Amino acid sequence: MKAALSAGSMLRGTATTIAFALIVVPILIVVVAAFSPNDYFQFPPPGFSLRWFVEFFGLQTMRDAFVLSIELALASATIATILGTLAALFLARRHGAIAALLQSLFLAPLVFPTLILGVALLLLYKTIGMPVFPGLLLAHCIVGMPYGFRTVLASAQALDPALEEAGQSLGADPLRTLFLVTLPLIWPGVLSGWLFAFIVSFGELNTALFLTGPGVTTLPIEIFSYLQFTGSQLVIAAASSVQIALIVILVAVIERVVGIARITRAR
Amino acid sequence: MKSAWGWFLLAPPLVLALVFFVVPLVYLFWVSLHASSTSELYGAALTLRNYSDVLADSFYLTIVRRTLGVAAVILGLCLLIGYPVAYFVALLPVRRRMLAILLLLFPLMVSNVVRAYGWVSLLERRGVVNSTLRDLHLIDAPLDLLYTPSAVVIALMTILLPYMVISIANTLAALDRRYQEAAQALGASPLRTFLHVTLPLSTPGIASGTLLVFLLTLSAYVTITLLGGPRSKLLVSLIYDSVTAFQWPRAAALAFVLLALALAFTGLILALLRPGRVQGAGR
Repeated sequence: MKAALSAGSMLRGTATTIAFALIVVPILIVVVAAFSPNDYFQFPPPGFSLRWFVEFFGLQTMRDAFVLSIELALASATIATILGTLAALFLARRHGAIAALLQSLFLAPLVFPTLILGVALLLLYKTIGMPVFPGLLLAHCIVGMPYGFRTVLASAQALDPALEEAGQSLGADPLRTLFLVTLPLIWPGVLSGWLFAFIVSFGELNTALFLTGPGVTTLPIEIFSYLQFTGSQLVIAAASSVQIALIVILVAVIERVVGIARITRAR
Repeated sequence: MKSAWGWFLLAPPLVLALVFFVVPLVYLFWVSLHASSTSELYGAALTLRNYSDVLADSFYLTIVRRTLGVAAVILGLCLLIGYPVAYFVALLPVRRRMLAILLLLFPLMVSNVVRAYGWVSLLERRGVVNSTLRDLHLIDAPLDLLYTPSAVVIALMTILLPYMVISIANTLAALDRRYQEAAQALGASPLRTFLHVTLPLSTPGIASGTLLVFLLTLSAYVTITLLGGPRSKLLVSLIYDSVTAFQWPRAAALAFVLLALALAFTGLILALLRPGRVQGAGR
């Protein structure tokens, strides 16, 4: 029995080591490659250089794509979080078939094959003549909304309803209660929802694949087409590392926000 | 007053979800029922030919079969590797478990194109794997690792593995340890305890991980293209190709074939694993 237990834990330990290596190594390789001094990536790297980052910011298409991705992520995360918050506040205390249906509708883009959403939106946009940027923005809002919705729903459901009722019974109208009572209490949920929506928009591929246009391209799509048409060059490693660095910073912020949320709940 | 407030909250997100999620899909379905046209997005005549063409054409059926095969292998590997890893993670003390989950979540936030590129730079002819093997004098000429179905399987499997691990680990961590202790106290061996107690109680995690991995495999166009190349096309590649060829009704029909596969698989998993019957282990 003891032998079986240790065999089991050895299997688990080995599987975990292999799995983490397989998951993390391809990302680490990209970061290491970005600092290569040579034209081609050599492993182990013969030195250290920032030339590919200089090249990345020097390429107009890459720089434009990077700026567009940031703008798009800021705008779509903000819209998606506001709308997700409204939906979550509506559904937080409602039960029944219609509430369940609405909840699945708002969460659906999480599991729905977004590539098909991209095709469907492109078709709709072609029919109604939608310009590229607003079309892309709306698609990113749809993809990001479930994140804001989900985190705010969890915060709002954990909220003591007596607090809102107290606000209302003291004469505050719903809007005042929302801004003076509810939002201050659920803001960690709102903020972490916003950060998740930002991250998702910043890396989004499946709808942007169809909805970007000439001169209006996001960084992931620019990386993808560069890889397809120019080949795997190290400027792509630099572009990817910029992506990764931004996400590291945002994850650190989320960690802090979630930490703060825990402290507020403990009180 | 109260209902006006309710509408103020619900209307904006509902309008967005209806106009830019539900309506486009209904419209796509409507287009899939039309003949193709050279001048318009789709022809005027209603027809089921787009579907019957796809289902009768051996080329499309081969691709559908290949798609399901690749998805099955990825799913099998994810379960085989993911379960022991999830078990390991679930048994960690709370703080270290949180850290492990964070480490698994982080790669999911990095764009898939970046993670696919990581695999390209490992597997390409001048990539890390080939140059390491050559430095060790194990090979003379570089191996063609990229643009193969195996490259697609390995890359997608590792890209999606964290979903499986996190789903199962969350279920296992929430499990009441006393069930396993009771089984062991009644004389069950560790293996028997695992097969008859732990495994059945973890089906909600297995079900949600399986569904996530399968659904994301179906639509992973960028990973499939970068690692599979033009010869290892899957169903999503055909959808993309039809769109770029302006074959809208064909693209729409293929999209709904893919959705039907996703739906059928979801139904199958829910019927087989019945995650709902495990009480209180859902979260």
